[in-house]
This record gives sequence, structure tokens and C-alpha cells, in this order.
Amino acid sequence: MKKKLRDFIFSEIIFIPEPNQFSDDDNLIQAGLDSMGIMRLVMYIEDQFGVALPDAEIDPDNLHSFNALERWVCRHKK
Amino acid sequence: MTKKRELELCQPLNPADYFTLAMDDEIRREAMPGSLCGFAVELDKWPEINELVSRIDEFVARFPLALASLQQQGKQFYWVQRPNPRPVFYRHFCPEGEEEHIFQHATVQRLINLREVRESTAPIEFHLILGRQKSCFLLRWLHPFCDARGAELIFSYLSSHDKAARDRFDTPETEALVNGQLRKYKWWQKIHLFYKAYRYIHQLDCYSSILHGQSDQLPQQLNFQVQRFDEKQTQIIAQQARTLCGLTGTSLYYLGCLMRALQQLEPAAIGEAYCVPYAFNLRKQKAVSPVLGNHVGPLFAQATRPLLENRELLFSHLTQQNKHVIRQQLDYAFLPVMQAASWLSLKKQGQELRQSYKNSKERSSFWFSDIGQLNFAPNSFFGADISGLFHLSQLSSPPGLALLCCHYRKQLTLTYNFIEPLFSAEQIARLHGYMTRELLGYDALQK
Repeated sequence: MKKKLRDFIFSEIIFIPEPNQFSDDDNLIQAGLDSMGIMRLVMYIEDQFGVALPDAEIDPDNLHSFNALERWVCRHKK
Repeated sequence: MTKKRELELCQPLNPADYFTLAMDDEIRREAMPGSLCGFAVELDKWPEINELVSRIDEFVARFPLALASLQQQGKQFYWVQRPNPRPVFYRHFCPEGEEEHIFQHATVQRLINLREVRESTAPIEFHLILGRQKSCFLLRWLHPFCDARGAELIFSYLSSHDKAARDRFDTPETEALVNGQLRKYKWWQKIHLFYKAYRYIHQLDCYSSILHGQSDQLPQQLNFQVQRFDEKQTQIIAQQARTLCGLTGTSLYYLGCLMRALQQLEPAAIGEAYCVPYAFNLRKQKAVSPVLGNHVGPLFAQATRPLLENRELLFSHLTQQNKHVIRQQLDYAFLPVMQAASWLSLKKQGQELRQSYKNSKERSSFWFSDIGQLNFAPNSFFGADISGLFHLSQLSSPPGLALLCCHYRKQLTLTYNFIEPLFSAEQIARLHGYMTRELLGYDALQK
């Protein structure tokens, strides 16, 4: 899942000179994940992983890193 | 220079450049200066002028398109290198006895209202307005040359003192992102997207747009008012936006507040719904390329009059509408429309893209752009500190009103751009009073 998320974010939303050096705990919001990017990301996750992510949970706590994103999606997959 | 040589030095416009060129054409047909835009930074003192000039020279050498002339060849338009380029940097000194801030405003206003034929208009110019202590640096560009993000990149290039960092800014040979995105689709997918956008526009046009301003008046000049909120107010606004529109809806919050503020300013304005275009940008966040050209497509926010009466309902509606647009990929759907429209005459293109199919009137109630967060280190502009900044945009009449927003040093800055005499400075000051109450949520808090 994280590889798909990384590929989507780095190819469509944020420019990182060296994506391999961006760890799963690094801060995505500081890296440039803005409101439009978040919206695109949520839509991508819902389509790709077949989950519905509640609007009320679109929160920095769930979005700040790849690890946080994975935890958020996994909670809803169950 | 021979015709053949000229053609070797020209660069075609991409579809998003045509979109802004159609707006330029529309504005020129109203005897206004065309689609001139500005990004101004206010400085606490004079910058090191010699260093600034040398950096601008370096920029022009790296991006020679900055000296080009926009010309039509057949049905298409190209940036063609001029045989005798003119200077791009100008200095303006505040005369003795004149107040600095009045001189600054008047100079910026004069520069953004200069009328020239399109072929002569410089793609970009740099103006340093010098007061006795303070100064103001203005980038003024012709919108087909770049968008607001591009102007920010140009500014970042100029103010970056690290040569290696400047080298990372891409050269103009970089392919337009719009073309790159369009190439991802097969021809039938483009047709599918085209009709998706076409149906969406028709759906928007079932309501006639609410328009403000004295539409019987001929446009004479662009004026602007810059309004800043302090850090505490900005925090309250961010909290309100977060509560009502969620993490993803800050821009929607600003434009929804302006819809309600306009409604309070002029409740009897004709029309059924506010319809507001805003741009989505194909550049990845933090990318320093492509610098030149426009890499945006339009999206629309629309709200009918009854929805405006209830803040919660309005913002919930705008947020859901935005989610729908992205889920349906209506943002990308506009790209094939822009590509197809680039083969039409500019007049026809403007009609197709900007006028309501219902009544052939202006679709946009106002223009809107949220430039987002801008960060510059202290004393980073050739030794001077950037104390404030604002944005400018010429626009068509109607709507005659544009709101441009940005954040700098934790302060929200709103620049109201308005066409006189359709709107007056007094009206805009009143509008900002309503807007302030809306943004801060005063009325909601009092309930």
C-alpha cells in the first residue's frame, strides 16, 4: 500500500528531488501536501483501496506521513 | 533578422496559455490594457540595486523568452524573439514632498494600467519603486507568459543567492504540463472528458450568475485595495475555515465568505447564483518548474441565493461540490476543452469558455485566486526585508472584481482588484467590512 501511495504522491502531487530519501515518517504536509493535494489523495485512496474515508477524519494526524496514512486506511479496511 | 531566423526562435503557446490569451483579448476589446498581472513585495529599505540588476540580467539570459513578443502566425500564437529587445528593469523615485505610500500605490496602479498593443507589451518587467527609506519591487507580466505560481518562481529565482539553487529552475524547453497531462489520454478518452466538461458547464449555466458593479459603465482603470489580517485574526479565520470546510477547503471558505459579503453589499443584484472560477495548478507542490507558461485549468464554485443564507449549508455545499468535481475528474476534463478551444478565434474562445450558454452573459460573478503560503527568509531580498506582499490582475468587465489571497508570515492578505467606475474604492471598503465579519465568523459567534 505504501508503495502505491508513494508513487501517487510523488508523481502527481509533491515534488521531492530524491523521493528515496523521504522516509515513511517524514512530514508530508511540510513537504507540500496542500488542500487540493489532500483531496486528490483521499479520492485516490478511496478508488484504489475500496474504502470510504469520513470527511471528519481528514485531519493532519491521519495525513502527516506515509505511516499515518497507512494506519488510517487500514482502520477503515477492517 | 529574416523570417526564417525569427521562426527558429519562437515558442508556441500551450492550451492553458490560450485560455489566458482569450482573457487578454477580452480585456483589450474593452479598451483596457489586456491581461497584465502583478506581484509586488514591499521592502523595509532599498535593496542592493546593482546585485538585483545583475540577477535580473542573469534571469533574462537564462529565460530569453522574457524579451520576446507575442505574435500570431496563422491561427496559432507564438513568442517570437524581438530584434531589438527593450529593458526589463525600471526604477521609479518618489519625488520630494510626496508621501511614499501614495506614490507607491499610484505608481503600481499606473504600471498595471499601461496600454500597449499586444505585440509590443513586454512579457515581464521588473519595477523598483523607491521611497526615501522603503521600497517596493513589482513584477508585472502579461498573463499568457506565466501564471501567479510562475511569477512566484521567478521571484524565488531572483532572490535565491545560491547559484546551485538557481540552476535547478527549469529552462523553457520543459514541456507544458497541460500537454503532458493530455498525452496520457487516448483520443476517445479525450472526447469522453470533453463531453463531461461540456455537460458540467451546461449544468452550471442552468442558473444565471449574480453580477455586481455598475454594468452600464465603461471600464476605465484597475484599482486595488490591500487588506491584511493580523496573526491572531488569521488564526481565527483558519479555525473557522477548518470547522466549516475541513482541512481541504480553506480556499472555498474565502470565496464562500466573499459570496455572502457581496450579497450583503448589494442584496438586490440580479441573478440566481454566484458562480466563481478558480484555478487548479498542474505543477507539483515545491516543484521549481516549469517556470514559464500557464499550467492551470479552471474549476467552478457555484451557490444559489437560498444557500447563501446559511453559512453551514453554504460551506458544506461548496465542499461537497469540490469533492464531486475531483472525484469525477472534472478538473482534468477541462484540459481537452482548452485544447480544442485553442483552435478557435480568441473572441470565440472567450465566448465558449467564459460566457453562460443560458444567456450569453458573463458566467463569473467574480474572479478568485488563492496563491497560498509564501515564505521568504528575513532580509532575503538583496539585503532588504519583505514586510508585505500583494497581487494584481487586470480583469474583464463584468465581473470587474477579483479577490486574490495569500499568506505571508502567518498573516492573511487579501487584495481586492476592481475596475473603476464599475466599482468604487468606497464600495470595496464596505465590502471588506462585510468580508471581515464573514471571515472571522462574528455573526455566527454572536448567535
